[in-house]
Amino acid sequence: MTTANEFVERVLARLPDSVPDREQIGLELSSHIAERVARGTLLEDVLRDLGDPTALAESYLSAVPLVSAPSLHRAVAKLVDLAIVLAAVALLATLAAALLPRRLEGGIVLGALFTAILAFSAGTVFAELRFGQTPGKRIFGLRVVRESGAPIGLGQAIVRQLPLVFSVFFVDAFFIFFTEKKQRAFEMLSKSRVVKV
Amino acid sequence: MRYHLLVADEQERAEGRRGIERELKRGSLELIVLHLLAPAEAYGYEIVSKLAAETSGALEVTDGTLYPVLYRLERAGFVSVRWETPQRGVPRKYYRLTDAGRAELAALTLEWTTFARAMSRLLRTGRDAR
Repeated sequence: MTTANEFVERVLARLPDSVPDREQIGLELSSHIAERVARGTLLEDVLRDLGDPTALAESYLSAVPLVSAPSLHRAVAKLVDLAIVLAAVALLATLAAALLPRRLEGGIVLGALFTAILAFSAGTVFAELRFGQTPGKRIFGLRVVRESGAPIGLGQAIVRQLPLVFSVFFVDAFFIFFTEKKQRAFEMLSKSRVVKV
Repeated sequence: MRYHLLVADEQERAEGRRGIERELKRGSLELIVLHLLAPAEAYGYEIVSKLAAETSGALEVTDGTLYPVLYRLERAGFVSVRWETPQRGVPRKYYRLTDAGRAELAALTLEWTTFARAMSRLLRTGRDAR
């Protein structure tokens, strides 16, 4: 049986931090539930009347218009993220080169390349899933969301990074210039988009 | 083959009817809430109960549909809000119409009555019965 708090949490989980007055939405729903229950309605019935938490969150989201992120901001944000990963990997590689014997040099270069690609894609998946943005996107106030405006899920976060793994990044990114919501091909596939907050 | 086509057709028609009802409701929700707020400020639960009482539940608007409408009206600047915690009990969010909200209410009311009048005039011509 769902408690009032669980219900409100489920609604809020579908609303990104960028939604205006997000806490007020939670407070008001809690207040409504408490009021109805205090007047003798069963909690079960109160929650049924509020409907599915996901659908409720989406109706709130429909009041907040989404603005596509400018392509230039996205490009620079990507470069910033790349620079961060490359700097970290270069540091590690230098450290490894100093500590390990000379004959392993070739292995270190290969290892560094592999680590950079892995860290770049896995790091982006983690950051977009957990915070809705990477450090680079944060600078420009960009967020990754579902087409409804709700935060993305794990599957979507992974699909968004597939073009990098398949080495079709530029072909994929080119779609931004021709799609209505300025989406990459794999963003359309994962039903996600990048918006400006 | 024919039978299947017929069934599909029936389903489509039923869905179409629900569609019209849904669209009409969505278009009228803001008007309903603005109207309920016209006499005095009220908090969410009050508005919900007032709606149920004044229409005897005929509009079938659930609590879950109403709160996002209040949020939309707030974002649009048609209502202003304040919080108040009664001595015993949970905090309440009160809504009050702004000047822009009153203007919107007048505009939507005019739009609605014009549409409704034209629609009933059209349907009253009585030729459908034959």
